[in-house]
Amino acid sequence: MILATSAIAARADAKPQSAEARVRSYSPPRLSDGTPDFRGIWQAQATAYLNIEGHAAEVGVRASPSIVVDPADGRIPYLPDALKQRAKNYESRATSDPAINCFQAGVPRAIFLPTPFQIFQSVGHLAIVYTDNHSYRIVLASSVPHDDGIDFFMGDSRGHWEADTLVVDVTDLGEETWLDAAGNYHSDQLHVVERYTLLGPDTMRYEATMTDPKVYARPWTVRLLLDRDRRPGARINEDECIDGPDGVWHHVSPLDPQAVLHHDYPAELAREGNHP
Amino acid sequence: MGKLPGATIGCIFLTVFWLTPQPATAQTAEKSRESKPADLPRLADGHPDLEGLWHNESGYQAALKNLRGGGGLAVALGDFHSAGVPLPFPYWPTTKQIQEYRDLHDPYHDPEAHCHVPGVPRETEQPSSLFPFQIIQDERYVVILYEYTHDVRIIPEDGSSHPKQYWAWDGDSRGHWEGDTLVVDVANFNGRTWLDMEANFVDENEHVVERYTMTGADTIAYSATVEDPTVFTKPWTMELTLKRNPAKDQIVYYDCHEGERDVEHYPKSEGNTANPHE
Repeated sequence: MILATSAIAARADAKPQSAEARVRSYSPPRLSDGTPDFRGIWQAQATAYLNIEGHAAEVGVRASPSIVVDPADGRIPYLPDALKQRAKNYESRATSDPAINCFQAGVPRAIFLPTPFQIFQSVGHLAIVYTDNHSYRIVLASSVPHDDGIDFFMGDSRGHWEADTLVVDVTDLGEETWLDAAGNYHSDQLHVVERYTLLGPDTMRYEATMTDPKVYARPWTVRLLLDRDRRPGARINEDECIDGPDGVWHHVSPLDPQAVLHHDYPAELAREGNHP
Repeated sequence: MGKLPGATIGCIFLTVFWLTPQPATAQTAEKSRESKPADLPRLADGHPDLEGLWHNESGYQAALKNLRGGGGLAVALGDFHSAGVPLPFPYWPTTKQIQEYRDLHDPYHDPEAHCHVPGVPRETEQPSSLFPFQIIQDERYVVILYEYTHDVRIIPEDGSSHPKQYWAWDGDSRGHWEGDTLVVDVANFNGRTWLDMEANFVDENEHVVERYTMTGADTIAYSATVEDPTVFTKPWTMELTLKRNPAKDQIVYYDCHEGERDVEHYPKSEGNTANPHE
C-alpha cells in the first residue's frame, strides 16, 4: 500500500504562508446559497494513521513526518502520566488498539485513515461518510446545542463557516478511541475543533486542534492535505467486519468473491430434485 | 461523560437544519400533512425533495419466535403482516427447509445479532420509534443515513450501472426517477442478510427494486419488490408507509458491538457451534 510520498506529506506543513496565499486566491464552487461546495470523495495524503508524530518507512508504506504543526517540535504535549500511558499503549498496540476490534475510528483519526470518505452536502445539510465501519457524521448547525452527557464514538459535530472555511466543533467523544495506530490517545474530555478549507479544485486542507486537560498540557494542532478522488466510478465501498470463531474481527471487502455466503445447509435436510 | 451508549438510546430532540434559512417547503412539516402531490417540496431540479428525517410507520419486522435457550429474550415485537409483507414467502421447497432449520436452530445467527447492517429491504423495516433515517439529496446522489447500525446507503442517480465484481450486505444501489417516484435498483448482494428475525433469507442472487413515492410533504409510500430466483419461486413485494419525524428530531449515533459488554452473556443456540456467517 503506497499512499503518499513523504515529500507530498511534508507539503502539509512546509509552507503555511503560501498555503494561506492559495486560500485567498482560490474561490471554491458554491451551492445555491453561496456556501462552499465540499462534495466529493476525499482521502488523506499522509500516512499519519500509523503515527501522528511521524514514522519511519515500513513495508509498503513510505515514511511520514509528524502532522503536528503546533507545538513546533511536532510532538503531542502529553502530561507526564499520559506520556507513560501512551508508551503502554504503544507496547500493547497489537491487541489494545480499538481499531483491532473494528470499532469506529473517532475524530480526528477517521479523517486520515488510509481509506476515502465522502462529503454530502445540500443547502442546510452536511454529512461525512467514512469507508471504515460505515461511520458517518451529520454536521449540525453550531446554533444547535451539543448533546452534552452522551458520548459517541464519532462525537457530536456542530459546524459554521468562517469565510470559506468550514469549522466543526466536536465534543461528546468517548475515551474508547485512539488517535492513530501508535497508541496516541485522549480521554473523554477531548474537544476537537476542525477546519476544512478548499485550496484548489482537488485539494483540501484539514486542521484539527485537540484540547483535553486530562491528557495534554496544552491544545495542539495537526494539519494535513486531502486529495479529491476524481476517477470515474470512484465510490465508498461497503466495509463490514465479521466476528471470527477465534473471537477476532475481520474486515470483509466487497471486492472479494469470498464475501459471498453460500447457503450450504445440514446434510439431514439435503433433498434432491426440489431446487432449481 | 462516561461509558459510550449502546443500542437503547432513543431520539434526542433537536433541529437538524443549520447554517442557512431553509426553503419553506422543507420546514412546513406540521402544516402540510394534507398536501397533494402537486404541492410536494421539490429541489431545483424539479424532483420531489425527500430530504429530512423519516421512519417506518408500518410496524416492526417480525415476531421473535422459536428462540431457543434465550429465556426472556422471546418477546413478540410485532407482526410481519403489519409490515406489509405478503405471507407466506414463495420459497422453493428446499430453501423453505433452510429457513425452517435456521428459524428453529440458529436464532443467534441472525446477522443483526452480529451487528451487521440489515441489508435491503430489512433496514427500512426497523422499528419506527427507535430508529429513524435521514435523507440528504442533490442532483447526483440520494444518501440515506440510517440510525440503526450507523448504516449508510449511497445511491448515485447518474445513470451508471451496477459493478461487476462487488458483493455487499447492502448490495449496490442505483437510483433514477420515474415521474415523482425515486426508483432504486439494488443488486450485488453477498447473501449474508436475513429479511427478518424468523430467518427468512436471501442469497447472493437477491435483486430488489425499491420505490419511494411522496404522497404528501410528510409521507412516503415505500415498496420493495424482492426477487431471488434461487430462493423464491417468484418475486414478492412489501409495502410500508414512511413518515417524516418532527423537525426537532435528529439522528442519535448508534453503536452496536462497539462498547458492547454483554455479549459474553448471550446463550449459545442449541446444537450449533459453527457460525454460518463465516
